[in-house]
Amino acid sequence: MLTDSGFWFVQLLNSLQLSMLLFLLSVGLTVIFGLMNFVNLAHGSLYALGALFGYSIAQATGNMWLAFILAPVCVMAVGALIYVLIIDRMRKAGPMKQVLVTFGLIFVFLDAQRYFWGSDQLGVTSGIPFSGSFELFGEIYPSYRLFIICVGLLVFAALYLLLEHTRLGAEVRAGVDDPETASCLGVNVERTFFTVFLIGSALAGLAGVVAMPAFSAEAGMGVSILVPTLVVVVVGGLGSLKGAFAGSLLIGTTLTFGQVLIPSFASMLMYALLVAVLLIRPSGLFPARG
Amino acid sequence: MRNLMSFRSTLAALTLIALLISWTNAGYFGMEILAEIAILALLAMSLDLLAGYTGLVSLGHAALFGCGAYAFAVFTAFWGWPPSLSMLAATLLTGLIALIVGSVVTRVQGIFFIMITLAIGEMGYELVFKTRALGGDDGLAGIPRLDLSAIGVDLNDPGVFALALILLVAVCYLLLKRLLASPYGAILVGLHDNAGRMRALGLPVQRYQTSIFAFSGAIAGFAGTLSAQHTMFISPQLLHWTTSGEVLVMGILGGLGTLVGPVIGAALITLLRHELSDLTDYWGLWLGVFLIIAVMGGKNGVVGWLEAGWNALTRRGETSKQSDRSKNDAAG
Repeated sequence: MLTDSGFWFVQLLNSLQLSMLLFLLSVGLTVIFGLMNFVNLAHGSLYALGALFGYSIAQATGNMWLAFILAPVCVMAVGALIYVLIIDRMRKAGPMKQVLVTFGLIFVFLDAQRYFWGSDQLGVTSGIPFSGSFELFGEIYPSYRLFIICVGLLVFAALYLLLEHTRLGAEVRAGVDDPETASCLGVNVERTFFTVFLIGSALAGLAGVVAMPAFSAEAGMGVSILVPTLVVVVVGGLGSLKGAFAGSLLIGTTLTFGQVLIPSFASMLMYALLVAVLLIRPSGLFPARG
Repeated sequence: MRNLMSFRSTLAALTLIALLISWTNAGYFGMEILAEIAILALLAMSLDLLAGYTGLVSLGHAALFGCGAYAFAVFTAFWGWPPSLSMLAATLLTGLIALIVGSVVTRVQGIFFIMITLAIGEMGYELVFKTRALGGDDGLAGIPRLDLSAIGVDLNDPGVFALALILLVAVCYLLLKRLLASPYGAILVGLHDNAGRMRALGLPVQRYQTSIFAFSGAIAGFAGTLSAQHTMFISPQLLHWTTSGEVLVMGILGGLGTLVGPVIGAALITLLRHELSDLTDYWGLWLGVFLIIAVMGGKNGVVGWLEAGWNALTRRGETSKQSDRSKNDAAG
């Protein structure tokens, strides 16, 4: 098995697919941090919410594509609610308190999700696009997982264009570089932050709903994905798209191949990597600010 | 400032008296709750050293708590060491692990620190959860309690055990208060207020942060050995992030950076959980709401509210100069 090239190719695809999910999650977190020194620890809960919304929409309409579009919008609305009700009011209190509040939100979301959707694993079985599979080097691989990889790559490309070629992107880059100077030059950093927060929430929701058909949805999934996402953010370096992408690839690969080589201690490898990066490059691989 | 110190000492004395009075009235179940409060109070005080005084908000403190509990269980139940030696060894071992972890995590500050401690705490949880030799998700049972029959104390009696724990918390409170009044304590507060300036003064900032991380971890491990003896059964849940969160809520709700606040918070949260768990399955929801309210409430928890009330009473009309640290505290 271990010398079979098809097997390794499948693992490579698996690691890419996990990496793309991590990327969708971490990119929102890292850019928000770059802008406002603020981390939404409930980001993983938004991921779970995306999956659960997606499940309900797919159950109600039988149309998975509708779920792909509507679930992120619903999650974005929840993100807007969090922002208006809590984060905006905590502006003056400083980032530390904001983070603690979002930590409280994890508890709230977890039990709210258990209340509305129960504690069981929920999966959609019918109406999934790309539900077939294809053969590669003698291995059967589900097409849907390839679709996840494509979604991640598309989002990366879209975000790259957005950041480099639009006014919003320029404002975000300026804000990450130096928030004070940017606001002196007339950039409304608060509004930029709000926009980025919404985009980040929607991407977390997208990650959730895209992951749902492959991994099923459950209330606790938000927390288990949060930890690798935080590791990606720290390893990749804060505030940068490139860092989030590189960090996701690194962590996704480590977790997947760790699972194959040393099954019970795969996550240990991830933490070892985290410690190594912290020791050698405390600010991460590609920090946005020198 | 002096006034404030004596106010907090009074509050601590009142808390102790309240615990002792409830001890004299408690039945079997009440004794169990009192023991639980005492253990969590100790854990919350250890977190207060880090989060409240030094400004290092750790979300992985429960992992050290669980480390102490598991080490104690392994030493006693597996290796047959006497409980007294096991308590000492487990506490030292946890302190050593905290020293190693601390030397890594203190390289980063602020929100980075929060994220890293959360991640490393979860690593500890996963490690225990997946290790079959430690019982995995079934946990471990058959843990003995400290045998003090030589001096006529039977710790297997719930009442005696609870009283011993309450007194232990009182002793630890006094010792920690003494520590915080020392120059070392002043350095911790200085690190909280302005680590950059402390560095400019020539202080090896990271070394001090590591030392308090290790010390606080050792106390958390000690609390873990007590918890293992209390329930005589341990599960990976002890190390879970929800436990870290609960302890943090205790600190913030009671008032971080006051030492007595976390004790009050531990009592309040433990009582609330037992009351509410009869009414609802969603205790976590309430805990989250308490955390959000306590953080958004502005004042420094219960102790902060009481102090504000006390100041209003004693210095009415006077323009009170708040030289007290509680204003910018609560992990600010």
